[in-house]
Amino acid sequence: MASATEVLETPLPSRTGSSARGAFGILFTPVTLLLILFLAPMLLMVKVSFEAAPPLDTAFSLDNYPSVLTNSLNLQIAIRTVFIATTAMAVMLVVGIPLAYYMVFKAGRLELVILLALVLADELAPIVKVYAWQVILGREGIVNWLIPGPPVSWLIFSQFAVILTLGATYITYTTIPIYAAMKAIDPTVFESATDLGAGWWVQARRILIPLAAPGIFIALILVYVPMLTDFVTSDIVGGTNSYMMGQRVRDLILQDVNWGAGSALNFIMLVLTGVFALVAYRLAKLNQIETS
Amino acid sequence: MAIDSDTTVAATQHEGEIRVEAVTKRFGDVTAVDDVSFTIPGGEFFSMLGPSGCGKTTTLRMIAGFESPDAGRIVLQGGDVTNVPPPKRNVNMVFQSYGLFPHMSVADNVAFGPKIRKLGRSDIDERVREVIHTVRLEGMEDRRPGQLSGGQQQRVALARALVNRPAALLLDEPLGALDLKLRKEMQLELKDLQQRTGTTFVYVTHDQEEAMTMSDRIAVMHGGVVEQLATPRELYQRPTSAFVAGFIGTSNLLTLRVDRREAGYLVMDLGGGQRILAPDNGVASPAAQITVRPEWIKLAAGEVGTDAATDASHVSGTVAEVVYLGSVTQLIVDLPTGERLAVHRLNDSVGAEDPRTGDRVTIHWAADHSYVIDGSADVVGGGTATESTVSAAVRD
Repeated sequence: MASATEVLETPLPSRTGSSARGAFGILFTPVTLLLILFLAPMLLMVKVSFEAAPPLDTAFSLDNYPSVLTNSLNLQIAIRTVFIATTAMAVMLVVGIPLAYYMVFKAGRLELVILLALVLADELAPIVKVYAWQVILGREGIVNWLIPGPPVSWLIFSQFAVILTLGATYITYTTIPIYAAMKAIDPTVFESATDLGAGWWVQARRILIPLAAPGIFIALILVYVPMLTDFVTSDIVGGTNSYMMGQRVRDLILQDVNWGAGSALNFIMLVLTGVFALVAYRLAKLNQIETS
Repeated sequence: MAIDSDTTVAATQHEGEIRVEAVTKRFGDVTAVDDVSFTIPGGEFFSMLGPSGCGKTTTLRMIAGFESPDAGRIVLQGGDVTNVPPPKRNVNMVFQSYGLFPHMSVADNVAFGPKIRKLGRSDIDERVREVIHTVRLEGMEDRRPGQLSGGQQQRVALARALVNRPAALLLDEPLGALDLKLRKEMQLELKDLQQRTGTTFVYVTHDQEEAMTMSDRIAVMHGGVVEQLATPRELYQRPTSAFVAGFIGTSNLLTLRVDRREAGYLVMDLGGGQRILAPDNGVASPAAQITVRPEWIKLAAGEVGTDAATDASHVSGTVAEVVYLGSVTQLIVDLPTGERLAVHRLNDSVGAEDPRTGDRVTIHWAADHSYVIDGSADVVGGGTATESTVSAAVRD
């Protein structure tokens, strides 16, 4: 026992020094490219957000932020966007967590088949997928054709359609990180929990979900944030009551040609989603457990 | 009142008792456990010992309730639990890989069972404190399993099971993940724990030494059946099958051709005063299979003399191999019968010379030290069995 502790306490060899310089050499090109291609447009956007509306082009102005923030329409759209994205996220977790559990612990040979299916589902171009849902949910679509009686109106061009389509689009990115986290769980924990008297619900709540938490938070970063800014889905299968923030920014810039307001709104969203992603990341790190 | 006291008496009579009755379990075409029956009295340290695939773990999992038998009954403390789910059986299992909850502290791991059973908070705290003391983990309560050594994790697993005060504790190769030295320490600790708590322990292992060290009784399993169920001493001295003789310790198997029966002994005459003796088991067959432990065989230089005692086996042979093992030296001796025998020579004095390969030696052992294996009349051609047993012994 003493020797084991000694081994644990032996400091790891230092990773600074020559290896750090090597890493710098390797990373120099990609980091520079990222900075130019990723950061530069963003800085441009920030700059534009401090420019006045069309007639007074490029003059410095602080008006965009207060006007965007005080616009009640923006607030209404923001609330609706959060509602749609949160509901879609919840639906995906409700599907994704059991699916990942099934894949890791129950599927056996089917595990790889499901994994491949999830990856292939994501390979399809997003726009094609969304149009496919239009075909499925449309007034003359497959679902209405199968259901007798007059067409169900809320199937398409509704919040329902947007939530369902978003869910189908992002299910791969929800399931796979959770799947990866669950792969690290020793299945004996479930047997020992059963032995100690825990039913499936207690096992799910007190063992499975806490142990899969790092994967769940990663899924939130990968899925929740892009959903908040998505505009393609709502464009194609959504209606006026599912008009989302992504669409609002796009329309401010492309239809109203109000670059200042559009950029300001976009920048506010960027900051908020950034904060959200950071919190989720911190939680994911905190929940990372030594499983040795 | 009368009924009450009767049930109490019944419960005490069967406290901690486990009965496995004619249990069979098949997986597809494979019969993992084949009509196994035994009774474990309360408070016993009982081991199931055998090579992998012998059915020992399946039997344990059927007692725990993780597998259900295809035939037969499991009776715990006098009640049939064959169809009772694991949590309702009042037994707890310690798993080979422990199955500790890595996201919970030691105290939370231990308190898991009592919390599920909805015991009062003070009762839970009391039990957790007590059991943590029992397994000597004081001061570790707030650590996570990942911060503990293998032996400490093992003790958390024990505490987590014992805190429920089970009628029996089922242990599935719980020391398999530990290194040899720690394993030996834990063996003694487990035995001590079992005696202090008085809990029935059912222990599964493939390590015969481990089973011998701890168990009150051992069921040696092979091919889904119990080959022999006995105390460690009995298993070692009186194995009832060639398998048990070979599996428990180092053993020699010899085929004894019955040339004559004389003064209660079976005698195999090898000429020149050489003979092999075994107690007469009364079975009229032309050959018997006998087992002799290597440390019961004595060694002398040269050929068998005419003055050899009549109540002992005497054979001359050639030393084929000499293996120094520290406390003993193992010699492999070629016999005139074509069989090979392992002989252990105790190294009880410094500087004693071992015989060399090719030396002629005489070996002898008391006739009572030849143990006739029951039903051995069916097994002829023991020479090959001897060789495989000896080579297995050398690998040990």
